Amino acid sequence: MEYLLKNGYVVDPTNKIDCERKDIAVKDGKVVESVDESRAKVIDVKDMLVMPGGVDLHSHIAGSKVNIGRLFRPEDHYKDYEVKSGVRRSGVGHSVPSVFTTGYRYAILGYTTVFEPATPPLKTLHTHEELNDIPIVDKACFPLFGNNWFVMEYIRDGKLEECAAYIAWLMRSIKGYAIKVVDPGGVETWKWGGTVQDFDQEVPRFGITPREIVRGLVKVNKMLGLPHPVHIHANQLGVPGNYKTTLRTMDAVKDLASGDKPALHITHVQFNAYGGVDYLSISSRADDVADYVNKNPHVTIDIGQVIFGDTTTMTADGPFEYKLFTLFRGKWANTDVEVETGAGVVPITYSRSNYVHAVMWCIGLELALLVNDPWRVFITTDHPNGGPFIEYPRVFSWLMSEKARERVLKRLPRLARVRTHLRDIDREYTFYELAISTRAATAKILRLTNKGHLGEGADADIAVYNINPKEVNPSLDYKLVRQAFSRAYLTMKDGEIVVKDGEIVSAPVGRTYWANTRAPKDVEDVVIPKVKKLFEEYYTVRFENYYIPESYLACSAPIQPLEPAG
Amino acid sequence: MVELKLKIKAQHLTPIEGEVLTPDNLAGKSVNEILNLETWRGNRRVKLSELFTVEGESASKPSDLHLILEGDLRKVRHIGSRMSAGKITINGPVGTFVGFEVTGGTIVVNGDADAFLGMGMSGGVIEVNGNAGDAVGSGYWGTRCGMRGGLIVVKGNVGAELGCWMKDGTIRVGGNSDIFAGVRMQGGTIFIAGNVGAKPGAAMVNGKIVVLGNVPNIPPSFHIDEIRPSTKVDGDKIQGPFYVFYGDITEGGNGKLFISVEKNPHLKYREAYIF
Amino acid sequence: MICPSCGNLCDDNEVYVEGNKIVKVRTECAISSSKFLNYNKERNTKPLVRMGGQFKPTTLDDAIEQVARMLVEAEYPLLYGWSETSCEAVKKGIELAEEVGGVIDNTATVCHGPSILGVQDFGEPTCSLGEVRARADLIIYWGCNPSSAHTRHMKRYASLSKGRFRLPEQKKVVVVDVRKTPTARNANIFVQVKPNQDYELMAALKMLLGNEEIEEQEVAGVPVEQIEELAELMRSCEFGVLFFGLGLTMSEGKERNIDGALTLVRELNKWTKFAIMPMRGHYNVTGANKVLTWQTGYPYAVDFSRGYPRYEPGDTSAVDVLSRGYNDATLVVASDPVATFPKDAVKHLCSKHLAVIDPHISLTAFMADVVIPSSFIGIEEGGTAYRMDGVPLIMKKVVEPPEGILPDVQILDLILKRVRELKKGR
Repeated sequence: MEYLLKNGYVVDPTNKIDCERKDIAVKDGKVVESVDESRAKVIDVKDMLVMPGGVDLHSHIAGSKVNIGRLFRPEDHYKDYEVKSGVRRSGVGHSVPSVFTTGYRYAILGYTTVFEPATPPLKTLHTHEELNDIPIVDKACFPLFGNNWFVMEYIRDGKLEECAAYIAWLMRSIKGYAIKVVDPGGVETWKWGGTVQDFDQEVPRFGITPREIVRGLVKVNKMLGLPHPVHIHANQLGVPGNYKTTLRTMDAVKDLASGDKPALHITHVQFNAYGGVDYLSISSRADDVADYVNKNPHVTIDIGQVIFGDTTTMTADGPFEYKLFTLFRGKWANTDVEVETGAGVVPITYSRSNYVHAVMWCIGLELALLVNDPWRVFITTDHPNGGPFIEYPRVFSWLMSEKARERVLKRLPRLARVRTHLRDIDREYTFYELAISTRAATAKILRLTNKGHLGEGADADIAVYNINPKEVNPSLDYKLVRQAFSRAYLTMKDGEIVVKDGEIVSAPVGRTYWANTRAPKDVEDVVIPKVKKLFEEYYTVRFENYYIPESYLACSAPIQPLEPAG
Repeated sequence: MVELKLKIKAQHLTPIEGEVLTPDNLAGKSVNEILNLETWRGNRRVKLSELFTVEGESASKPSDLHLILEGDLRKVRHIGSRMSAGKITINGPVGTFVGFEVTGGTIVVNGDADAFLGMGMSGGVIEVNGNAGDAVGSGYWGTRCGMRGGLIVVKGNVGAELGCWMKDGTIRVGGNSDIFAGVRMQGGTIFIAGNVGAKPGAAMVNGKIVVLGNVPNIPPSFHIDEIRPSTKVDGDKIQGPFYVFYGDITEGGNGKLFISVEKNPHLKYREAYIF
Repeated sequence: MICPSCGNLCDDNEVYVEGNKIVKVRTECAISSSKFLNYNKERNTKPLVRMGGQFKPTTLDDAIEQVARMLVEAEYPLLYGWSETSCEAVKKGIELAEEVGGVIDNTATVCHGPSILGVQDFGEPTCSLGEVRARADLIIYWGCNPSSAHTRHMKRYASLSKGRFRLPEQKKVVVVDVRKTPTARNANIFVQVKPNQDYELMAALKMLLGNEEIEEQEVAGVPVEQIEELAELMRSCEFGVLFFGLGLTMSEGKERNIDGALTLVRELNKWTKFAIMPMRGHYNVTGANKVLTWQTGYPYAVDFSRGYPRYEPGDTSAVDVLSRGYNDATLVVASDPVATFPKDAVKHLCSKHLAVIDPHISLTAFMADVVIPSSFIGIEEGGTAYRMDGVPLIMKKVVEPPEGILPDVQILDLILKRVRELKKGR
């Protein structure tokens, strides 16, 4: 099938194209130099904004904890439902949508790749079963390692090569993509009912600190040549004053970076950029964090923006979720997973009139606006922790329009405005920067070389928005921006039209990417049998049953990591 | 008020969706338009004309419309759903979810109602001249919030979990209630003229439950406060004497149970705990 | 080999196959060995259709046709069961229910449905079974009898298991039940609770944990001093786990009992680490709920009659649909409701069109109009299943089913295809 998207204004930062009138030719699922206009289907996208499909690197859409969120929030679903029609299966939405609805709604936003950022290895088959059922978008999942018994013991004993072999084996066995760390050491501590107070505090019974865990994993990541830096949710999330831990976490691996290549990605930094000593005095330290990021190219961040309204928090950070429960005394789910990690789920309503929530709202935007390089700061809401992904267009409008921000700011508690910096920031994102932060840069940091851009050879994952970037001033007409990005005029996935004028017209199966990681054979041959032996002692499933065959992925897309370094 | 009468034509097997049957939905429409309105019978779309005969006419405003439904309506669910004004009289036994999330107006049932009567109600009046089922005045699953206002009166008996998670409003029961009356109550008032099943007021944090009949037991998480000669329900004086229990202590609750002294001699031993 | 019997989903059984037959099983569990060795006995191998009151063998095509017609013609079909089959089959079942605009429900509706209802109000502090084995020093079995129903539970996961941080001798077992069950006979402490008063006992425990006085000498038949001891035991352990079963979910109060248990365990987390876990019965009842949740947003009792999932348990749940006489046709897959449902529900079930997909002539199949034989998951067919703690495992196929017998997922797929053809024609 050949297509020609004619007369649109293309924004393709990877190829340095900024709102240029350009035709995009598509053939056999790829962007090509040109097609025969007489044979191709011509789609006139005159004066519309043409971008690569969105690439969301951090969104909780699939797996055990997401499903717990779905299960225990029928009230989140019953007023927001989708009727079955045509190719579209029925489902429910809002903060924890059912799987079909998740894929459709992302595609309608013009997103074509979405990654689940936290999966417990033991239950990753569950994550894949859900990912398989999410239509249209390409996806992957990040297994959790920061509280893993094997990992902690290897790092403690200085056995990094063995650790790398273990992680390589695990990554390819359960079809994961990158190393995810959540509250390193903290979740294991929580399994005894405690929490990590300090980045250099020892984890009980393991004799290792969060700092050591993070450094060890960054080293292993380099050794394995995985396609993404270590993706970390830092210690002390949600705790006033935690910005210090964030800075220390970033600084802890500075010496491990090679050149300009990022060594660490810190996620939803908004939740980790707090000053103050308690919730009464909580303030924004986004400036300190942004300052560090500006000066240190070895880190990338995503913001984790808060949206006012009802949503559901869910994270592997079990102790943090318990803390939320003690504050709200509402619903609370917790699932510790043997050997590996944990999870917690707590519904939340972010309210404009709540001082703490108002401060949080400011911080997310500050991070995006104070970090200068859009190639290193990505727009997310940590869906659904900050807010549902369907609200991304609202975030875009805030970033692109000071007026839009002001409208919200003036309704926030005065003290929240005083203790944050947002009201003093007048920077506004351009369409070009938006495209970087939501497509080009995220594809790059995930080493998805065929995504996030519209150059020749790229996957034909394209989003067309009904907004004329030459005529519309996003600073003033932010409502138009929000409307346009809420319903793509056209979304194309692998050269197939999936969304037409905001409606799903086709629902193909997306790919599941995973890193087919290997460590040197001689090391693996020694390490894996030892792992197998310990398996019986540590786990309640057998070593043979831990493995997920590739056939269990609806559309398996293994990525070969780079050659192991050194 | 203008009367519009819908009589169900036949006994049905599969459930009929009664959401469309409210003054809000039927006001301002001609009888013909009403007959042509569609609803669900099981998974089939059917016109109201297939299900009901219509007499009378509609009013232009919901508050002027008195909708009368006649016949065996046990298979009709969600009648009066999200109603805001006007009146519905149901002459016959009726199905589940009568008055779901109703905000105003009046519903009268001359017959027995099924479960989930007045679920999510926040205003208005529901009166049942008959019995009602389980979970009267409760809330949708997961909301942790039941009825938020309005008045429910059931002349006969009610099932279990009366007023579950109730936040405000009043429920009056002329007959008996099954177990867990007022469980998880957060406010409002429940009055039961007859007997209640075990564990009334369990896990309540606020609100008031008055029982004139027999109670097999009080949850152990309540303490006895005093004996009062009488109490008030929405300004009406109710003659006691009553044992007054407060709790649920495990929830840090300030709810109160007023239990008839006369009908509960087995609770006499609790008097020793009155300070 | 993973055993397709109970919610333990033990994956360490050894099964020896010769030709196409299982000849030997090495397992510690009588239920498991019986399943692997006897599954093939007394099974139905032919599609059957009822004609003139009798079962007559028919072709698979004919049986599929009849089921498809039944579903398409029905105004409110009920698709029930799902707990003894693979997740793949459940997914097909959901697609089918959505296509025919019916209600899909699984056995949780008569089992741990109340647990789900409780979780929907309070959440659930829980963990995987390996966490229990590694750390728990106090294990409470409340209203369940694993010695009989989940035979290897104690040895594999709980009180008799060897954990990284906790040896068996460091684990204490408390059983709370209405009678001295086999599990209770092997417990350190047995608390006999009066029937239907578990809630009161839990409330009393919460009172004592909060240092409040109870205005009784005994609660639920248990002297307050004994309740005090239990409260102290719970408060002072390092890691406690409360396992519970139908003693709580199906006694008076149902989901309110689970409310009591969940909030009790939540409170205990103030003092120590405590988790709670329902003892799920069938080997994939958990999986069925999980698939329903991720595909529809709701865990069971899902009504598709209006073209989208609706959830009103107590009205859209199988027993209620049947007791109120809502449905005009039923498809039962991998379950036996005639054997377990209340009388009124069974009466209605049998009075309407009934099709059954099952390897055996169960009581339900015996009452059906159409019966389609299917294969056994975990023996003759693979697929995913979920353990009681949500850990997913891949069931294996080691022998072929008898000639002409298909797995549930394929049968459902054939029905779905035929349903779509019939709908197009209408």
